[in-house]
Amino acid sequence: MGIGYDCFETARLLRMTQRIHRPGIRVYLRLKESKLTESHVIQTRELRKRYRPDIMAVDGLSMRVKRGEVYGFVGPNGSGKTTTLRMLLGLVRPTSGDCEMLGEAPGSPEALGRIGALMETPAFYPYLSGRDNLRVLARHASVSYDRIDPVLAEVDLTRRADYRFKSYSLGMKQRLGMAAALLKDPELLILDEPTNGLDPAGMAEMRDLIRNLGHGERTVLLSSHLMGELEQICDRIGVVKDGRIIREGTLDELRRGERLKLRAEPVAEAIALLKKLAGVGKIDAGDGGILMIEADPSRAAEINRVLVEAGIQVSELCVVKLSLESVFLSLTEEAEPLG
Amino acid sequence: MDSLMAELLLLRKRVGNWVLLGFWLFMAVLFSYLLPYYAYTSDLNFHGRGVGVVLLIALLPQNLVANITNSFPFFGGTMVLIMGALAMGSEYNWGTLTPVFTQRAGRLKVFFAKILALAIALVPFVLLVFLLAFLASVSISWREGQPIELPPLWDLLRALAAGWFLLAVWAAFGVFLAVLSRGTALAIGLGIIYGLVIEGIISSFGRQIDLLKQISTVLLRTNGYSLISSLGVTLPSEAGPGGFSGESVSGTQAALVLAGCLLVFIAVSAAVIRRRDVSGAS
Repeated sequence: MGIGYDCFETARLLRMTQRIHRPGIRVYLRLKESKLTESHVIQTRELRKRYRPDIMAVDGLSMRVKRGEVYGFVGPNGSGKTTTLRMLLGLVRPTSGDCEMLGEAPGSPEALGRIGALMETPAFYPYLSGRDNLRVLARHASVSYDRIDPVLAEVDLTRRADYRFKSYSLGMKQRLGMAAALLKDPELLILDEPTNGLDPAGMAEMRDLIRNLGHGERTVLLSSHLMGELEQICDRIGVVKDGRIIREGTLDELRRGERLKLRAEPVAEAIALLKKLAGVGKIDAGDGGILMIEADPSRAAEINRVLVEAGIQVSELCVVKLSLESVFLSLTEEAEPLG
Repeated sequence: MDSLMAELLLLRKRVGNWVLLGFWLFMAVLFSYLLPYYAYTSDLNFHGRGVGVVLLIALLPQNLVANITNSFPFFGGTMVLIMGALAMGSEYNWGTLTPVFTQRAGRLKVFFAKILALAIALVPFVLLVFLLAFLASVSISWREGQPIELPPLWDLLRALAAGWFLLAVWAAFGVFLAVLSRGTALAIGLGIIYGLVIEGIISSFGRQIDLLKQISTVLLRTNGYSLISSLGVTLPSEAGPGGFSGESVSGTQAALVLAGCLLVFIAVSAAVIRRRDVSGAS
């Protein structure tokens, strides 16, 4: 649905709200009024979910996922990732805030028909075979059974398709979950920890699969703890902490806060001088007089000159390439375990 | 229609449902025909004293309706309560509401497809038990050298409809409990305790306490027995299995109360399904 907001559309939407008092619809309407662009397939604004008075799972989360990109959603355990994904799918109702999926209300049949999702550990009927499980979902999605064999082949599960789900290994369950997500040939894929339980070879296969799926017009929203995985697959990444996005951008943008590694003597004077410089952020002092400085790498020469002119001996100055994991850990500070 | 086909597939492929169907058929024939016939043929001093003849007549095909419908409000209801609780509660246990609700069909569409599928699945529960009962009664007639007379068709149709209706109410009760408890175990436990214990206690105390007597008139078993009683069925004695000693209401009142219960169970379940957040497996 485009952003064209003509009178006919307004009247239709108003009729909808008169008939259906659903938060999702109201949320959708507010976003329509804000005239966000169609190039974003997911848009949330100040999304909140409070489970109990003392539990705010998502606290003012705003994000935009562009059409055709692979968006990484990363955060420590309990940071609100899964609750956010569930709100995007209409499984959980937001307490407040706005949300729009593919131009539709979250959880609406119009949106769900174009979204494939794999949420956490895949849930299927244990007494049915993999193929029958896909048949059930295909029926609910009004998708032809003809789609089942291709998606089973795509996730390399054809040989075990007629075995009962309860006999599957965790890796096979995960692949069946991916097959189910692909059943509708969706425009948007939402994957929550898709490599859970996979062995290294399975993880590599899944990574390749996701990378291939992310090509072209299809958009992928990928939640994962595995930084290396996200680093290899994602176009953009949003870092979530305490229910809100604390940093969002491409890998290069996230690394733009890359650090300068400086070895200088005397250290205390170097730190005092650096703190006075504009554009220099956090300074961490390490062993052996090494300083890690948060600053634009292009300012290395300027920093060097200022220190040398002040009589400080600079024996090493280089740009440190941060891994996504380092960025993540520095952003979330407490360095919570990622498992 | 697509969601209905999906739900029918789920019910058809679940072995537990076939076990319930088999167990229900076995219990119905055992308690309605085999045990009474065994009692008739055993040395229980029935022969030649009138009581035995009455017992035998109840087992003949012309009394098919009266004999078999007694089992519906008792263990028939409990069997399908389990089926309803399993059909809905397992979705919570396995976390399958997440993939199902993220397909194109909306929550209510899926829920009503499940209800409709259960209603369809109850048809063999009714037809097969009548068929088996008929075969048992014909066998007894043949063995005892009695003429085979079929019950009036209209009576048979009314009994089939009433039987299906009673089972539908109990199955909806199972679904209702499963939705409220988000699982199978508590729903089945509570349902069985309610059906087999609580209703019996309330009916018993109803003879001494007027308030309980009034309350018993809106209970499932009371109205179930009242409904089949309106078909000309003699209710089982208090002492036997499924014995009933509570209040009776008119057939019309029973049908209305049961219909009201059915609507309440379905409406409340649907409202909860529609409103409540869906989390992972419980």
